[in-house]
Amino acid sequence: MTAGAKLRTVVDGPQPLVIDVTPRMTAERGRGTVVTRLPARIPGTGEPSRFEAVVAGWRFEVAVEPAARAELRERAARIGGARATSVRRVIHAQIPGRVVSVAVAVGDAVERGQRLLSIEAMKMENAVLAPRAGTIERVGVAAGEDVELGDELAVMA
Amino acid sequence: MRKDGRPFRRVLIANRGEIALRVIRACRELGVETVAVYSDADANARHVRAADVAVRIGPPPAAQSYLLVERIMAAARETGAEAIHPGYGFLSERPALAEACNAAGVVFIGPEPATLIGLGDKLNARRAAAAAGVPVVPGTLEPVATDRPDAVEAAVSEADRIGWPVLVKAAAGGGGRGMRLVERAADLPAALAAAAHEALAAFGDGSVYLEHRVDGARHVEVQLLGDAQGTVVALGERDCSIQRRHQKLVEETPAPGFDAARRRALHAFAVAVARAVGLRNAATAEFLVGADGSAWFLEVNARLQVEHGVTELVTGLDLVHEQLWIAAGEPLSGRVLAAAARAAQPGRHAIEVRLSAEDPGRDFAPTPGTIGRWRMPGGPGVRVDDWVEDGTRIGSDYDALLGKLMVVADDRAAALARLRRALHELEVTGIQTTLPFDLWLVDEPHFQAGELSTDFVPRLWDPAPLRAAAAELAAQSAADALAGGEYAPFGGVAPDDAVRQGGGATGWASLGRREAIERWPR
Repeated sequence: MTAGAKLRTVVDGPQPLVIDVTPRMTAERGRGTVVTRLPARIPGTGEPSRFEAVVAGWRFEVAVEPAARAELRERAARIGGARATSVRRVIHAQIPGRVVSVAVAVGDAVERGQRLLSIEAMKMENAVLAPRAGTIERVGVAAGEDVELGDELAVMA
Repeated sequence: MRKDGRPFRRVLIANRGEIALRVIRACRELGVETVAVYSDADANARHVRAADVAVRIGPPPAAQSYLLVERIMAAARETGAEAIHPGYGFLSERPALAEACNAAGVVFIGPEPATLIGLGDKLNARRAAAAAGVPVVPGTLEPVATDRPDAVEAAVSEADRIGWPVLVKAAAGGGGRGMRLVERAADLPAALAAAAHEALAAFGDGSVYLEHRVDGARHVEVQLLGDAQGTVVALGERDCSIQRRHQKLVEETPAPGFDAARRRALHAFAVAVARAVGLRNAATAEFLVGADGSAWFLEVNARLQVEHGVTELVTGLDLVHEQLWIAAGEPLSGRVLAAAARAAQPGRHAIEVRLSAEDPGRDFAPTPGTIGRWRMPGGPGVRVDDWVEDGTRIGSDYDALLGKLMVVADDRAAALARLRRALHELEVTGIQTTLPFDLWLVDEPHFQAGELSTDFVPRLWDPAPLRAAAAELAAQSAADALAGGEYAPFGGVAPDDAVRQGGGATGWASLGRREAIERWPR
């Protein structure tokens, strides 16, 4: 993750609050702020990280992920719903980090949402999921390799 | 007194939660062994672990456990308890437990059954107070008929005499149940019927009466102790005006703005009522106090109150110790008499806030769930009486009280500063609590100025903007925590992260997180 990159937060509530914020490394203490990481709903799916934040006694659950990734996710969801599945699809790294594991090999048939590989960044494991059903045509990385934002990870047919 | 210098050898506490723990502490200090009773929901609760002996009395619903007189008596018999302390709530004011104790030769730490029977009908206390020359809130001294067509006309003319608006109250009532506010004569018949129906369902007695609703009044109560020899003293008053729906949120002593003369007058009224109804042991007389300082008697609670701790902080007494000595037949101690003599000039100030599993942003609706992290404040002048801990599950079988935070200082301004400091140390995760209300209140100008009244909360508490501002900070703090991990400002992620993550995550990432957590400064 690039330093200073915007993060998209979704605060739960009757009307969920969506705000993009820049993380701070210096801050005045909010009144009695306590932040706790919540367990993933479905582990390893690359869903946004979830936190409980108690501020001035008010308790919230907040989902956080890089704003760029959130936008890609939204776009993917829009396109994935509309397009035919025959087009080649290049999967790029949406966060810089180290590839922890690769779960697929060339020729594998995958389902939409299946985990292809995992990238560790900011001490967090982020799953890269198949944007649609298809076949793995190429795998561009191996476990242990470092990747930069936008690097080609895999190609699906 | 026994030859061994203890009030009793062994006492059973017929309660749960913070009050059970509170009573166990007092017993232990006097060398008295304790017997806890518990429902399945409380099998590993702190009051159970703190007691010398624990007896299971049934499944979680109170009606099948803490409210069963025969189970409590059987537990006392099995464990050889000489006395039973009922705490507050549950069986504390039900004559059935006091009667069963008398029949079994066990001491009931409270008033005589006859006193409880008498006070069970609030109209009895109103009549006794009026007869003793104590002003009562204008209203009826007899039940209002609700079952005859001609009764409605009579009720309306009564209300005209009392003065509108009126409250319809259940004679057997408590906690706001069976209570209706009526502004106009046209609404009275329906309110009478509804209140009577609700009272019948809740208390098995549909008697209702009318009382004038005193606008802008404060709720002030007087702590009383009485011994078997008939001596009754007042140990200071508590202002409990900060309420919502007749449930107290904050209490303090002494009442702000009272001078010694007004205090003495109120204490004298309370003692007169206590004598008139034959009170023994600990009790509280409640009054409404108008803007002009005039006081009207409301009712008597013949038990230890939730908020007794603030009186202890100011008087230096342990009211539960005194209850035990009184129940053992001792006359009021020199400590009590000395504190009573000082009661009009207390010289210190104490404030309590009740921490409850309720959402102050949603009209104090209950918020059952599991507590993640429970960190209470400490330091000088701070007392916490609680019962929950990390991981405690808050169900919906019992009341929402999690604990009470009390502070004491030389005067009200210093007590407020201490309360603010303590509230900012407090950390609770996992469930929504009433803490946002308390943080707001301590800085609220009317509260700081001691301008209190029972309509304070509905008039001034507006949670939406406060919650919205906190939501933005929550978003920022969560983003900081994701970006910075354990190095984010203020540590970002709390150390019990490890607990909360539980199974879920696997592999090196969770190991890495755990490692980070182990480096957390403690």
